[in-house]
Amino acid sequence: MSPTQISLNHVKKTFRTRGLGKRKEFDALVDLSLDLRKGEILGVVGESGSGKSTLGRCAFGIVPVTSGKVTVFGEDISQVSGSALRDIKKRMGFVFQDPIASLNPRMYVKDLIAEPMRMHQEFSHNFYERIEYLASRVGLSSEQLQRRPHELSGGQCQRVAIARAISTNPEILLLDEPTSSLDLSVQAQILNLLSDLRSEFSLSYLLISHDLDVISHLSDRTMVLHDGQIVEFGDTQSIINDPQQEYTKTLLRMKSGSGRIDTLGTSSPSLPPGFDLDMWQEAPLNRWAFQNVEKFISTQIIEASSTPAPWAERKQSPWRDLEISGEGSIGSILESTYTDALLVVQNGNIVIEHYENGMNPESKHLLQSVSKGILGVLYAQLEAEGLLATSDLIIEHIPELAGSGYATATISEALDMTVALNFSEEYHDPDSEIQQQDRSANWRHRLAGDVPGIHPFLQSLTGSGQHGQQFQYCSANTDLLAWIAERVCGDTYATILSDRLWKPMGLVTDSTITVDEFGAPLANGGISMTARDLARFGALFLDEGYIGNQAVVPKKWIAQTLAGASNSVQSVEYLQVLHPGGSYKNQWWITKGENQEIYCVGIYGQYIWIDPTTKTIIVKFSTLPVATNSEHSRLHMALFREISRRKF
Amino acid sequence: MSAPIIRVSNLAVDFASKGIVVNTPLRGVSFEVESGKTLGIVGETGCGKTLTGLSILNLLPPNAIRRGEIWLDGHGELNSQNMADVRGVQISFIFQNPHSAFNPVFTIEKQLKIVAHRQGLDHHQGERIIRDRLKEVGLDDIDRVLTSFPHQLSGGMLQRCMIAMALLGTPKLLIADEPTTALDSTIARQILTLIYNLQKQYGFALILISHDVGLVSDIADNIAVLYAGRVVETGTTNLVLSDPKHPYTKGLLQAIPSASVVRGGLTAIPGQVPANTLTIVGCSFASRCSQVQASCANDPALKEIAGRNVACGVVTR
Repeated sequence: MSPTQISLNHVKKTFRTRGLGKRKEFDALVDLSLDLRKGEILGVVGESGSGKSTLGRCAFGIVPVTSGKVTVFGEDISQVSGSALRDIKKRMGFVFQDPIASLNPRMYVKDLIAEPMRMHQEFSHNFYERIEYLASRVGLSSEQLQRRPHELSGGQCQRVAIARAISTNPEILLLDEPTSSLDLSVQAQILNLLSDLRSEFSLSYLLISHDLDVISHLSDRTMVLHDGQIVEFGDTQSIINDPQQEYTKTLLRMKSGSGRIDTLGTSSPSLPPGFDLDMWQEAPLNRWAFQNVEKFISTQIIEASSTPAPWAERKQSPWRDLEISGEGSIGSILESTYTDALLVVQNGNIVIEHYENGMNPESKHLLQSVSKGILGVLYAQLEAEGLLATSDLIIEHIPELAGSGYATATISEALDMTVALNFSEEYHDPDSEIQQQDRSANWRHRLAGDVPGIHPFLQSLTGSGQHGQQFQYCSANTDLLAWIAERVCGDTYATILSDRLWKPMGLVTDSTITVDEFGAPLANGGISMTARDLARFGALFLDEGYIGNQAVVPKKWIAQTLAGASNSVQSVEYLQVLHPGGSYKNQWWITKGENQEIYCVGIYGQYIWIDPTTKTIIVKFSTLPVATNSEHSRLHMALFREISRRKF
Repeated sequence: MSAPIIRVSNLAVDFASKGIVVNTPLRGVSFEVESGKTLGIVGETGCGKTLTGLSILNLLPPNAIRRGEIWLDGHGELNSQNMADVRGVQISFIFQNPHSAFNPVFTIEKQLKIVAHRQGLDHHQGERIIRDRLKEVGLDDIDRVLTSFPHQLSGGMLQRCMIAMALLGTPKLLIADEPTTALDSTIARQILTLIYNLQKQYGFALILISHDVGLVSDIADNIAVLYAGRVVETGTTNLVLSDPKHPYTKGLLQAIPSASVVRGGLTAIPGQVPANTLTIVGCSFASRCSQVQASCANDPALKEIAGRNVACGVVTR
């Protein structure tokens, strides 16, 4: 191995802010070790404030370190002074970011190049020849030696800075963002120059840049720095081609030219550390992600009403210690089911409203498959307007699906989930269609061979037999129905929902729905809204389709949905245990229980529960650690049944 | 294909000193942008990119003389009379360095309100729309942002404020001049995504000016490569960047460093953009071009080659 020229050993650098008030300390570098070997280019990459410039300054002895040891050419830099320090400094060169700012505007180029040699008293008989040689080496003409910095372009100034840096025949160069202020074409010239100089003078570089392209182009080894700590350090090729850390992957994704913006999943500010588009639905990321979907998936806004109709407030009576038979208190059940929100409305009054995990009455939460129920209600409207009939064949509206499994299915078969498709709804299986759909919709990173976009995905689905025979829960059906809705209304799904439901229903807060890069909505699970607004959908069922004096959906449709489908969901074993004799109608689950309760459920514990007998609506948002679990479902059912039968 | 929002034809700018034209940095630029589409303008420093943006809004210094036609949908040809109705209302501008584009002695709120007033919004409407826009551009702590002075915000936050400011009205066209050059690459990506999403939402036409071809390729539908005050190649982004025809476009693309290129193998374009474009005879790129021929002494006009327009006398297919 080549000898080490600079080594940093457990270096820490703390800055203190002075001034009035409380003094603050800021750790720019935290316990950082590295070695710069002879003849290598070591790249340091990171964002602003990651400590990369401080690292360079500490390594080259420009600023002292707070603790730890910096060794340069085998000497502890904090222990040497006087001529010994000057000898070390002579063997170092520096190139900084802004060449115009780092060159003295009053000096001629020839003097700028000569200055380090004069300082180190390196006079020889061919002093002026050496200046000319250096200038020609970095591509400056002898005429330009007579100019001052303002008479040169940015790229030429940076050449002067480089000539200056190599004038004392140094062995190591500190390059702090050497090309950041330059045009790409000039940057290419400077990078080529630096590369040539290194082989010619066998220099080592400590190259600092925020630009991964520059780093990866030039350096042998790369260090990724974040918050003063090493995120990843190793051979450049392996870091670029096979990054191990999420932060490095994010940097690589964020490069310009790394792909069309619209295919990018992670885009917005303040993602939590360790955020991964493939993991956000899982614990613990879902605790944050379900309230912040718009920060990493493209969304469209479903506008709220300009004349909102808020819920009547009523003083809540104590509910936390009420016992649910055999399951413990309500409070303890909320705790064990990772609750984000619980809202109970009885006879038009809020009787329980409880938020956790940083939520409040204005917080939106991802509905997951509760979104389907909203589409069901929308279809009641579309049918009433005569825009479609549920007996229509799907391909009458979307001829593009003629070659797919939907070719012979009807709208009502999609609404009631009796389309026979090859579709696996196994949430944790990467080969399942539901995960493929997530990837098509930019809910996960797309893999090679995935269909881009929701509509092409729907077109790729194949049939598995006779439609209308058997219940098969298939999320894609809802997205298909949203496509039809957009087609018959000639508008975006978000606008359709806003005009036909959000505004007439007087919903208070703008909601969002995730869309793919072509603007197609993920109607089966992409809506985020507040618990209070969602509960309004329950009110529709209790008031025969009315919200206040406003008729939103036909009374007939409400009755038809509450009655359920003739086709029961007995084929699914755990559903039979949950609600024997239950069915699925118009995107809602019908329990056929004593009180005729109906509900919608989304993975990871999202619910709206309606008990028409006791006039109770329950909304619960949760972030369970698993998508589906029969024990969680049973516990929720028990909780909802008992709450609705109590009088608050 | 929808109708263009803006059509620029033969736009040229002269700089005069004591009544004599001393410099012609823009020598006849033509393009059009449709509603909801993005045109990327790329080129090196000194090619006239920023000047193109500024001359659309007639924000040129007093010694500049603008020639050519700029036509805006619904307003006809833009001139100094109707410019007042258009500037900042129909056409918004995002400047490169947010720290120098905001006035340092007024709070963000004050500056946004001035623009809101300009859009014809009353006090209450203005306040509501300012808050809405700041939320849309991804700022969280809006009260703090509003009461801050520009130096108290980071570059990324300030650039978000500027985008919010540009969208207080409902512009038909947004001109973004190097909107991310002063920012970190991760922040830059966020800002670009934001602009993209807002464009999807509001449907404005976008002119994105940048020296970074990679950045432009991430968002632009069409691209115009500018060299020495002229468009040398223009067409759909995909076509131009995947198979560049003009030697200058090729050079720009080869200058982008990446891990896949062997070290030292960057093909830099030798030399510089000609400083005084007044005296150019023939092809302006000839002095730096590796394919130069005797015929390059003639000024090449834009002509269609392989699905896009190229101004080169040598390239034929």
